Amino acid sequence: MSTEYIRPQGLDEALGLLQERQDVTILAGGTDLMVDRRSEKIRPRCLLDVSRLPELRRIRTRDGVLEIGAAVTISELLASGTIARMAPVLAGCARRFGSRQIRNVATIGGNVAHCAPCGDTIAPLLVHEAQAVVAAPGGTRTVDIGEMAGGPYQCILAPGELIRCFRLKPCPAGVDLADFQKIGRRRELAISRISMAAMVRLDDDGGVDFMRFAVGACTPTPHRFREVEDFLLGRRPDEGLLWQAGRLAADTMIAITGTRPSAAYKQPAVQGLFLRMMSPLLQPGRKSHA
Amino acid sequence: MKNHTVTIRFTLNGEPTTVEAAADVSVLHLLREHLGLKGTKEGCGMGECGACTIVVDGRAVNACLMFAPQLDGREVLTVEGLRAEDGLHPLQQAFVDHHGVQCGFCTPGALMSAYALLQENPRAGREEIVTAISGNLCRCTGYRNMVAAIEAARDRRTDK
Amino acid sequence: MPDNCRTVGKNIARIGAVERLQGRPVFSADLSLDDALVLKVLRSGRAHAVVKDIDVGPALAVDGVVRVFTEADIPGENRMGIINRDQPLLADGRVRSSADPVALVAARSEEAAERAVAAIQVTYEDLPAVFTPDEALAPGAPAIHPDGNLLFARRIRRGDVEAAFSRCAVVVERTYRTPFIEHAYLEPDAGAGFVDDDGTLVIYASTQNPHYDLTEVTRLLGVEKWRVRIIQAATGGGFGSKLDLNVQGFIGLALYHLRQPVRMVYSREEAFLATAKRHPLEMHFTTGADEKGRLLATRVLITCNTGAYGSYGIAVTSRSAVHATGPYKIENVEIESRCVYTNHPFCGAMRGFGTPQAAIAHEGQMDLLAQRLGIDPLEIRRINALRTGSVTATGQKLSASVGIGECLQALTPHYDQARRQWRQEPSSPYIRRGVGIGCMWYGIGNTGTKNPATARVAMDREGRVTLFTGCADIGQGSSTVLTQICAEVLGLAPGDIRLVVADTGLTPNAGATSASRQTYISGNAVQTAAAKLAAALLEAAADQLQVPRASLALSNGEVITGAEKTGCVSFARLAQMLHDQGVSLEFEGFFDPPTTALDPATGQGVPYATYAFAGQLALVEVDTLTGEVRVARIVAAHDVGRAIHPENVRGQICGGVAMGLGFALMEQFVPGSTLSLKDYHIPTCADMPEIVPIIVESEEPSGPFGAKGVGEPALIPTAPAILNALADALGKRIDTLPASLESVLETSIATGHFGPREV
Ligand SMILES: Cc1cc2nc3c(=O)[nH]c(=O)nc-3n(C[C@H](O)[C@H](O)[C@H](O)COP(=O)(O)OP(=O)(O)OC[C@H]3O[C@@H](n4cnc5c(N)ncnc54)[C@H](O)[C@@H]3O)c2cc1C
Ligand code: FES
Ligand code: FES
Repeated sequence: MSTEYIRPQGLDEALGLLQERQDVTILAGGTDLMVDRRSEKIRPRCLLDVSRLPELRRIRTRDGVLEIGAAVTISELLASGTIARMAPVLAGCARRFGSRQIRNVATIGGNVAHCAPCGDTIAPLLVHEAQAVVAAPGGTRTVDIGEMAGGPYQCILAPGELIRCFRLKPCPAGVDLADFQKIGRRRELAISRISMAAMVRLDDDGGVDFMRFAVGACTPTPHRFREVEDFLLGRRPDEGLLWQAGRLAADTMIAITGTRPSAAYKQPAVQGLFLRMMSPLLQPGRKSHA
Repeated sequence: MKNHTVTIRFTLNGEPTTVEAAADVSVLHLLREHLGLKGTKEGCGMGECGACTIVVDGRAVNACLMFAPQLDGREVLTVEGLRAEDGLHPLQQAFVDHHGVQCGFCTPGALMSAYALLQENPRAGREEIVTAISGNLCRCTGYRNMVAAIEAARDRRTDK
Repeated sequence: MPDNCRTVGKNIARIGAVERLQGRPVFSADLSLDDALVLKVLRSGRAHAVVKDIDVGPALAVDGVVRVFTEADIPGENRMGIINRDQPLLADGRVRSSADPVALVAARSEEAAERAVAAIQVTYEDLPAVFTPDEALAPGAPAIHPDGNLLFARRIRRGDVEAAFSRCAVVVERTYRTPFIEHAYLEPDAGAGFVDDDGTLVIYASTQNPHYDLTEVTRLLGVEKWRVRIIQAATGGGFGSKLDLNVQGFIGLALYHLRQPVRMVYSREEAFLATAKRHPLEMHFTTGADEKGRLLATRVLITCNTGAYGSYGIAVTSRSAVHATGPYKIENVEIESRCVYTNHPFCGAMRGFGTPQAAIAHEGQMDLLAQRLGIDPLEIRRINALRTGSVTATGQKLSASVGIGECLQALTPHYDQARRQWRQEPSSPYIRRGVGIGCMWYGIGNTGTKNPATARVAMDREGRVTLFTGCADIGQGSSTVLTQICAEVLGLAPGDIRLVVADTGLTPNAGATSASRQTYISGNAVQTAAAKLAAALLEAAADQLQVPRASLALSNGEVITGAEKTGCVSFARLAQMLHDQGVSLEFEGFFDPPTTALDPATGQGVPYATYAFAGQLALVEVDTLTGEVRVARIVAAHDVGRAIHPENVRGQICGGVAMGLGFALMEQFVPGSTLSLKDYHIPTCADMPEIVPIIVESEEPSGPFGAKGVGEPALIPTAPAILNALADALGKRIDTLPASLESVLETSIATGHFGPREV
């Protein structure tokens, strides 16, 4: 049986189609869909191409909120001055994402909706306390980014629902560190074994007065590790303290996953990567951006 | 059972082109099997090797990862469209001069990545060149002469 | 090197580059044959089983299916293998690995072929399977082939190892392990064929050895050799795996029965599943030296897992044994290497035939000895390096072109600088830097067996020269190099020479493009053939000009007199004259390197006529917190005898370094779970270090213009150098490849480098 292809001109048309038909697969860049089709995980009946919907293609700020359209590509994130300013962690993630060819078509919406444990944009979105704005037949609802995945590759969206955009709290002024780190088996075109996103601000005395921290690829769905944030808040980071906090990050991961074979590596590596990522805080006066 | 095909209109190497194809075939399949353009290669069919790289609206993409109708309305350049009036495009000539070709299977894809990069940034530095072709696997050259060739092509352009 | 070569030693433009750069349809999958049927194979999916029944009925019912072949359709002998013939084209009542082909479908479309493959009903009865050599050699293990699971053993004995160990100041003992490695050439296997007007079955294929393909295909089909013609299409890398018959046999079978164009293109997944891998080796080495660091004895036991079939397993086994000493003089050796069948997909040739694995071990041993003796790693290699006059473990006296000392010399300034300065200045407190050396030697050509090449050079009536060679250029550049040799001998520009390559209908047999043999062996054959033509021209010109032959030279398509301008005569005129006289201007050159078979009990003999040597230096940075490794620089010194095309040599070196880096740090094929390039990582451009290739030219008197080879040597020292550098950085060796994130971090933890710097 062959496949249909529809490219609606506007969001309303897209939503109409989604409502009308039950057999529609939303297509953005196609980089996940094509791979799944090749391995016959999916056989789409009707492709609804949302990649050119103007409503999904914007990056803008409204009332202090950073809004990123779901069909914005990773390359566009990387090229955007707004993103560099307001969400440098996400820009850092875009830099390390796939290959240039992949970045040119892969979308942030597709990354979130695919719900891969190693999806690289999730941890950065978590530290921006992002919400997905979901257009549903009955109207619009918002979903916390951490709630988008019910489990690995399980998006909670109902049929007929579509991610329009993400709303992010911008990186607060004066942060001392805003960074994304990723460990893969090679330097480019690598799936994350571990990814981390963090924003940290120190007060005048050098104590942590703001921190958000999330880990990707280590747990069935990426998580914000509030335990680690709470541990460091109010304290002045030295190397020993960061090492302890890294240990806490590793323990937090194990508490979620249990001890899997991969933990032999990931447990120490989470601790190690945490220290490496946070170490710019040890150099007084240095501000570090991804 | 309906047997759908889709009409896809786009510009291919400067020529307006219209094809009918099933909606779920890849752009790679469309180019090679429907349009007979064999310059774009299939090395993996899943975005991992870059042998199928083409330029769509000025950006390098993996033809194996795009559904054919995604090309509709786009401007597409494949290796067959890469040429200069007097024969080889400067990038191709640089690959000859700097011995950037061994078996040549990765070459068209790497050329297209390099082409898109230099269109976007004619002064791209070595690091950007490395990043731009990191989605193009090559098992023969160790990349050194490919990078050298792209640098040479860049310098020729910016000299002018 | 003082000489007056005009073409040899120059970086001429590569032959074939332009077509590839323009994307012309030169590869097998690009060929368009009218109404070509699509061929697809059903593979067993079981490790070891008896095939009770194959029901092709449901497959034949699929719309678009033309025919389904099984073993019963093979008219000739259903057996393949270049060294030992143990592999059926289609299952002969039994499958020995999950990749074994069971049936072949010919259909009008890709989809129909796929559906038909899925529809074939096979009834199996599973047999017990074994996956490791230990299991395979255990008493009572299921025999995978009639003669048991030990396919071959190579033994090398010389001197008295036991006595020598007792004289050693130190003895080090270690076990090294390497995984299955996938060649990962960029072009998945492919071919196409049709039946010519005269009934010849014409097969285009991505191959490293068309003449071997011809032998096998005609034997499978039970037809005379002239009934089949194999033409090498442009080949997108091979690295050893395209020495096996991957698609050729299937295409031949379908053509034989259907007499209609067919094509067969492997997906990447099929290339991963069904083609040969690099053998995983387990290598137990015991090596001893005196207090001055002189190697006195080595005892080696190597086990090669060849999977379900031999392919080149015997060659890998033999070569791993012969090369186990490394490029060093050791008088007392006891080496055994064994090749064992298991029920994994088969292993075969891959760039270096067991030498890359063996080098991991002998270079690890050298560093361990150096450390124990307090001798510098470069120094201990210098002390032991083979030199002219040295006798190898097989009792061969090396009479010339032993460039390992020169390679080490070339590395020295880089090494000293790296040790003294670079190593001491890590870029962050959590980074440790290490410097390591890897050396190798590599016998050019096949091990102690005949492996000749023939080439033909012809001049037509207009004086135009055509070079006919069976040598398959798979990207390594042989067409260019052979043309240079031919041009040099004839005083022509390379562009003046027409080239006919790797077509069994037109070209003589050059043997395989493997074992780094083509520059040396085919190069000699070409040189000889061209020299015969040159001699004929000189003789005719001497007659014509009435001058002594010795005063004449060939230059730019003319025979000229060296001394004064007494005259010259063009090739065209001479050719016309000679043709009119009925003199043929077609000449063959033949070369078979002088070797002797190795004694089965002691391994003594002359396995190769000449050896290439190399040393590489690796500078690595280890992130002690995460196990990430960055190779910052590789300095690679290679003795190639003579570089016919220096840029080509450098290109081989850089490609080899990339492959060696992957071997050291990231590549690992796990049968059953590594399915495609998504699961198998080869280095990208961003993973590459700065590479400093250094060409060392220790001329080989028997080589064409002094040349040897570089294709495989390029890769061999890289992984040992990187592993030694990692050990230098961390203070502990990793002996099981790859040195992945996991094992590097584990080592960092074990050595106390993991953690904060200041607490
Ligand atoms: C070679 C390669 C390398 C890769 N590297 C990385 C990497 O480094 N990091 C990483 O995180 N990922 C990587 N990926 C995975 C993939 O590229 C990303 O997940 C990408 O962001 C998916 O976006 P897309 O637009 O291509 O999605 P598509 O394939 O178009 O869609 C993916 C899924 O999302 C759904 N979807 C898309 N848009 C919407 C929407 N607006 N609303 C609701 N549902 C929607 C689709 O229906 C589908 O289920 C890689 C993939 C490949 C092939
Ligand atoms: S074929 Fe498209 S990336 Fe490999
Ligand atoms: S030249 Fe062979 S893969 Fe790049």
